Amino acid sequence: MREKIVIGLVVAAALLLAYNLYQIFLVLPDEALQGAIYRIIFFHVPAAITGMIGYFVALALSVLYLSSGNFRYDSLAASVVEVSLVFSVVNIVTGSIWARIIWGIWWTWDYRLTSALVCVLIFSGYLMLRRGIDEPTQRARLSSALCIFGCIDVVIVWKSIEWFRTQHPGPVLSIRTGGGNIDPAMEHMLYMNFYAILMIAVALVLIRTRQEATSREIDSLRRLANAA
Amino acid sequence: MRSLRQALFVAGKDLAIEWRTKESLNAAAAFAVAILLLFSFAFDPFAESTRETAGGLLWLVFAFAGALVFNRGFARELPNECLDALLSSPLSAASLLLGKALGNFVLLLVLELISLFVFGIFYDVRWWLHPLNLAVVCALATWGISIVGAVFGALTVNLRLRELMLPVIIYPLLIPLLIAAIEITGTLLANRPITAYELLWGRVLVVFDVIFTALAMALAETILVN
Amino acid sequence: MDTRNFTFMFYGFAAAWLIVLLYVISLARRGARLKKELEDVKQLIGSDQAVQPPRLEDRVR
Repeated sequence: MREKIVIGLVVAAALLLAYNLYQIFLVLPDEALQGAIYRIIFFHVPAAITGMIGYFVALALSVLYLSSGNFRYDSLAASVVEVSLVFSVVNIVTGSIWARIIWGIWWTWDYRLTSALVCVLIFSGYLMLRRGIDEPTQRARLSSALCIFGCIDVVIVWKSIEWFRTQHPGPVLSIRTGGGNIDPAMEHMLYMNFYAILMIAVALVLIRTRQEATSREIDSLRRLANAA
Repeated sequence: MRSLRQALFVAGKDLAIEWRTKESLNAAAAFAVAILLLFSFAFDPFAESTRETAGGLLWLVFAFAGALVFNRGFARELPNECLDALLSSPLSAASLLLGKALGNFVLLLVLELISLFVFGIFYDVRWWLHPLNLAVVCALATWGISIVGAVFGALTVNLRLRELMLPVIIYPLLIPLLIAAIEITGTLLANRPITAYELLWGRVLVVFDVIFTALAMALAETILVN
Repeated sequence: MDTRNFTFMFYGFAAAWLIVLLYVISLARRGARLKKELEDVKQLIGSDQAVQPPRLEDRVR
C-alpha cells in the first residue's frame, strides 16, 4: 500500500514537473532585467518553503514524540528533517548561483540567507547527533529536544536579523503583498512547482520512514539474537 | 521559591567544588588567554579595524572557552554515579537544570572578567568606560549561553562523543545571541553612544534568554530523565 | 526566450537536480544495505522459528 502511494506520488510529481519545465522554459514571459537566470526562482522558492514547512512539521512531531513516547513520531521527524535539509541545501545553492549574477556576490548576511544557513547548521547537527547515539530512546529524546530548540532558534534568528538587514528581494507572493509585485503567470508557476516539489519531498519522507522502521526491526532482531 | 532555593543549592555545590579544584576555570582561562594571544597575531591589535571587531573577538573567546566549562558541568557528576543520585533525589529536574545553569553562569562571568583584563592589556582597549552597560550585556548574553550549555550538557552527558557533539550542537543555536552580544559590545568598546539599534539587539538578548529559559524549564523532566 | 545569463541558469538547475539526485542515490544505497542487513540478522536467528520475533515496542510507556 505504502509502495503504491510512493509510486503514485513520484509519477504525479514527474508529470507535473515535466509540464512545469515546459512552461518555465518555453511559455513564461521573460523578466525585464534578469535574463534567463530569473527562472531559477521556480526551484529556489519552492525548495525554501518545503524546507521550512518540513522543519516545523518536525517540531510538531518532536513534541508528539515527547508527549506520547511513540517511536514512529521520532522516525518520521528524523526523515522529515533529513529531506528538509536536502531542500534547504538546494535553496541555498540555487540562491548563491542566482546572487552571483544579479548581485555580483555569492553570499551576503541578509536575514533570509542567515536564517537558511543557521537552519542547515542546526539540523545537520541534529542528524550528526542521531548518528552518534545507538540507544533508541536516548536518541529520540535528544533529537526531539534539539529539534524543538532548533526551530525556535530559527524563528529568533529570522526575526532579529529581519529588523536589521534586508538585501534579499522582498515578498512577491500575493498572499503577502496583496498582488502587483509579480506577473500572475509566474506566481501560478511558483505554486505549481511548489506542489511538485512537495510531492517529491513527501515521497522521499515515506521512503526514509520505511527505512527507519526497517532499522528498528533490525535492532530488535539483534537484541533477540543476543538474548538467545 | 523552593525550586529557586534548590537551584541555588546545586549551584553552590558546583561552585564549591570548582573553588577547591579550579579544574575547569584554569583550563578555560588558559584556553581563553591562548586564543587572545593567537588573535593578536591574526589581527593587528592597534589597527582601527581591529577595534571595530573587538566585540566579536571577545565573544568568540567567551563562547569557545565556555564550551570547556559546560562539558564539565554534568560530566563532573558521572563518576561514582553522582548523576543518578541527583536525579533520584527530591530535587526537581527544573531546579537541577537551573542550578547547573547558574553554576555555569558564575564560572563564565569569572572567565569573562579574566579575559577582559587580558584583552585590555593585549589590545589596549578601555573596556571599563561603560561598566554598567557592559555588565548588563555580559550578564544577559552569558545567561543565554549558560542555559543552552546546561541543557545540552545534560542531554549529551552519556554520549561517547560528548566533547565533539556539544560544540557542534550549541554554537548554531547560540548564533542570534552571539550576534546581539557582539553588536552591543562592539559599540561599547568603541566608546560610541547606545542608539536604538543597540537597544533592538538588547531586546533580542532578552527575548532569547526568556524563551530558552522557559523552554528549558518546561522540558527539564524530559531532558534529565535517566 | 531571453538568453542573457543562460549559463548560470543552467548551472542553477543542474545544481538543484544534482543535489536531489545525490540524496536519492544515497537513500537507495541505504535501503539496499538495510535490506541486506535485515536478511542477515533473520538468518542469524534462524528461519525455522515458529514464533514471530517481537518488535521493538513502538510505545515505551
